[in-house]
Amino acid sequence: MSRTARDGDVVRDLLSIADLLEEPQLARLYAYVHREGPATVREAMDALDLPQGTAYSYVNRLQEAGVLAAASDEQPREYEAVDIELSLSTDRGERTYTITPMLVDAVGRRDGNEDIDAYTDRHGIAGLATALTYAVARERGEVTHQLMARDLDISPLEAEVILGALRPVVHDHVDVEPAGASLEDVVAAEDLETDAGDTGEDA
Amino acid sequence: MSAAHVADTGFLIALGGPENERYRRVRTFAKRNGITFLLPERVYDELTVDVPDHDSTRVDTVIEDGWVAVAEPLDYTVPLVSRTMDSVQRYIANADDRPEDEIERTDAALGGLAAQLLAHGSVTSVYVYTPDIAAGEGIETALASDGYGDAITFVNAFRFIEDLL
Repeated sequence: MSRTARDGDVVRDLLSIADLLEEPQLARLYAYVHREGPATVREAMDALDLPQGTAYSYVNRLQEAGVLAAASDEQPREYEAVDIELSLSTDRGERTYTITPMLVDAVGRRDGNEDIDAYTDRHGIAGLATALTYAVARERGEVTHQLMARDLDISPLEAEVILGALRPVVHDHVDVEPAGASLEDVVAAEDLETDAGDTGEDA
Repeated sequence: MSAAHVADTGFLIALGGPENERYRRVRTFAKRNGITFLLPERVYDELTVDVPDHDSTRVDTVIEDGWVAVAEPLDYTVPLVSRTMDSVQRYIANADDRPEDEIERTDAALGGLAAQLLAHGSVTSVYVYTPDIAAGEGIETALASDGYGDAITFVNAFRFIEDLL
């Protein structure tokens, strides 16, 4: 029956995405293709500094999981990311959470970001997902780090550290209106001096 | 005419330590322009809490370096201070459709310090550096309604630091 088949698909998707969330390297590759795709395996290897064997094996796994698809038959083959949007709700129906490419991206950044990694070690993927919803709300001017700290019973410092670490993820996935004055505004108003950009020593 | 610069927890955390380029750029900017970033006591307390993976003595190192200082305690008997803090509390509550009693007074400490500096009359403008947009906009709104609209500026802490890189 088609109903049974569809239910099976949903469970399969859920398990595939669970894999992505458990393995930062896979998540990072998915997030890269989602952001930059279509991309070849070679491009992903170079951008993410992955050994060739690992890159091919990851691409195969992501393809089998149904979250990457070949964009063309020509060689070298290009891949594109399949958009993930998996909504989960509790049986009381009071809370729903949608797993999106943004969460997968956040998981993928555990590799290079100690703050995201340490927070996820302490609070799990579910905790990271919650923090991400606060990070979006904060960038939209809806909550502060103190409100997050109180809601989740963590220290304001821990809240601020993870909100700051997740900010680039939010800005890569969500359109947020810039708020507040900039360096230029302060410098102009107070007639200050800045050597921003003069040294150019760091890329 | 002089200006005061008030910084939130997120501003200090975003800088990292002396090994970070962000830290060095902001330090250079502050030293060159004779700026001292003032922390409300609440912010100092947040930064010095004992949690894993955090060096709680780092803020003291910056304070010793002379471009960050802890401000005088807030004087709630100054009407502008209390009024501003109440108004910021209300603003933050409204921003997230929460009852006002979920917002604590200390959440408005940045606004309280800005108000205290302006009420004291020793500075003519105050810049508040925070990544909490709700707090920053709340402070501007509160002080503008008291006639200090031209004197108060919310600076987006992350943008400010990124612009110095």
